[in-house]
Amino acid sequence: MREDGHDRRVDETMWRPGTITRRRFVGVGAASVAAAGALGAAMLVPSPWRQLFGAEKPIKIGGIQPLTGPAAGGGLMAKVGQEVAAERINAAGGVNGRPIELIVEDSEGKPAAGIRKTRKLLTRDLIDVGQGGFMSNVCIACMPEYRRARIVNMIGVCLDTTITTSRCDRYTFRPFDYAPAQAVAFAPYLVNNIGKKWHILFADYAWGQTTRDAYREGIENLGGEVVGTTGIPLGTADMVPFLSRIRGDFDGLFMIFFGKDGVNVVTQAYNLGLHNKYRFAGDGAAVVAGTNLPAQREKALGFVGIDRYLPIFQGPLDTEHHRKFFDAVFEQSKQYDPNGILPDRYSQSNFEALNVLKVGMEACEFRGREDTEKLVEALEDLQVYAGDDFPTGDRLLRKADHQAFTNEYIFEVVKGDGDTYQPKVLQVVPWQDTIVPPACQFA
Amino acid sequence: MSELFQDLVVQMLIGISTGLILALVASGLTLIFGIMDVVNFAHGELFMLGAYMGWVFFTMTGSFWLGLAAAGLCVFVFGLIMQRSALRSLIGSDPLTTILATFGISLVLQTAAIWIWGPTVRRVGAALTGHIVVFHLQFPVYRFMVAVLSLAIIAGLWLFMHRGRFGLWIRATTQDRQMALAMGIPVPLVHTVVFGIGAAMAAISGYLYAPILGVDPTMGVNNILRAFIIVVVGGMGNLWGSVLAAVFIGVLEALAVIWVSPALAVIFSFAALIVTLLVRPTGLFVAVPR
Repeated sequence: MREDGHDRRVDETMWRPGTITRRRFVGVGAASVAAAGALGAAMLVPSPWRQLFGAEKPIKIGGIQPLTGPAAGGGLMAKVGQEVAAERINAAGGVNGRPIELIVEDSEGKPAAGIRKTRKLLTRDLIDVGQGGFMSNVCIACMPEYRRARIVNMIGVCLDTTITTSRCDRYTFRPFDYAPAQAVAFAPYLVNNIGKKWHILFADYAWGQTTRDAYREGIENLGGEVVGTTGIPLGTADMVPFLSRIRGDFDGLFMIFFGKDGVNVVTQAYNLGLHNKYRFAGDGAAVVAGTNLPAQREKALGFVGIDRYLPIFQGPLDTEHHRKFFDAVFEQSKQYDPNGILPDRYSQSNFEALNVLKVGMEACEFRGREDTEKLVEALEDLQVYAGDDFPTGDRLLRKADHQAFTNEYIFEVVKGDGDTYQPKVLQVVPWQDTIVPPACQFA
Repeated sequence: MSELFQDLVVQMLIGISTGLILALVASGLTLIFGIMDVVNFAHGELFMLGAYMGWVFFTMTGSFWLGLAAAGLCVFVFGLIMQRSALRSLIGSDPLTTILATFGISLVLQTAAIWIWGPTVRRVGAALTGHIVVFHLQFPVYRFMVAVLSLAIIAGLWLFMHRGRFGLWIRATTQDRQMALAMGIPVPLVHTVVFGIGAAMAAISGYLYAPILGVDPTMGVNNILRAFIIVVVGGMGNLWGSVLAAVFIGVLEALAVIWVSPALAVIFSFAALIVTLLVRPTGLFVAVPR
């Protein structure tokens, strides 16, 4: 072979003028076409055993997360949870002998973009199952897309109550808690341990509004009183105009916020001295340990919250399963922050949601979107147990509304080692004690 | 003392302090537009970049003031590079071109910030930590310090533009670019430096805001919309017009809060914007030529 890649003998026999005959040309040409055809056919047509066993063809699982925009902080951690789960599943041999392929699209935290990306996942990527969703208004907007496509939609973060009540549908599942269950778990502590009179501050959109309603009902059912509520639009940077109007005789300020809004509301309420008059409490999303507490620090001290997950090793969270999950997420998060980010409920619920799907798909021998109905049936009333797949504990995915119930942790922010602040568990409410009656009528 | 009187005092204080803080954000924006006719959609991201730069130096040195200096200086240099590499060739072309270019840069900067610093909200400690009690609230002294500092920085900028050779060049370029060029003023250099100054002002305001809001990749998005309203109401390119408009918008929204929800109070800003565009498109605080 020469340096320029041309074989001397072929050059001489084939291309020297006068040596090629019509018969040789037709013969070589026909052989080439036949070889190319055979190769193409082998590539395009699945071999019989591949069709039989589905080997190597991945099960496509896709979803949206807000990877840019105001909710990007939580969205990236949600994606980390999905990635850790997918890697674990594939390392253990996949699902039903097939690997899973995870496709995550950026919803930008906007319903319109979320719908566009969900349609892309369903019609172009041809995902077999959906798993993701962070902001409730985006989840609600995308639910009809999954319903129309008849594809299972395993929610990752969205907490809006109506997703599994008035808007429930056959294809959507929420494998973690929701506000009514949280309120049942937390309201007794608020009323009995802190005070009877509350003012609720909430993120003024789907999740904040339905969570406000759940807590109002929970507090009032126990003889407490909600003396006022203040809604603050999502993404409001300067909350002082809202907070400056809060005054009066009540015991606690209950905050329903997440992400950067959580940092702002706690910090700015503290700066205005509201912590001197009222006890700060709320949904744990306001003081997420990994992303929010480092910015809130002493301003969140004494905040009493509730969450389905805490990145600490106390009580039921002091297990080997939790340590494995914690380490894997912390390591994976270094792609976004070289120092690593503590796991949060966003990474936890997406990790466990993907594992719920795995258990369901294995139970029904799921092969692809054509088996969606079998998967729906397998997921209904699915009971899963604490282990490496479910580090936060057992849960039941109720058939009546596709809603799960999980352990709830009531915590207080305390000073940690050195210059750090961390949640400390005050009370664990077992999932069985958080159950509320279903309020769903499937169409 | 009546509750209404208390509300009036509290909301006036909030309005004036918020207005002066916003004036600093808007002043960089109006400066750049006044000289180059560039509507800088990346201004919010320069605001964010300044907060991050300041946070980096604050973390390294523990000094708030070193962080402030570093934020201004680093983003000033970044602004020079940005103008020289991406915007200089677009000056004088269709305004849509520069809008699209700066919008593109804003997306790149925001995404880059997520990749470099991650989604965690960062915190910068306030230079002053005391409080002033005003009726039912305690006001952080830092908020007033930022308002006063903003006014001082804007006044410093005004002095820079009205004293000394470079300020003269800037004003000459603002009045007539072609004539300034004919008179031997290095207009391209003026453009580059002014963009750098505008970027530095965004950066300084971002860093001053950091103890109030925390630092995160999307922190610029919120403020930039209001800054645009202020610049239009104050008159594009009019420095003191922007300051007056910022205080006007701040007080307008704050007083509206007494009677309507703060979420609805923003409507008053937009109403002011619409009225300005209909009645005095050159700005409420610009002298009408006779």
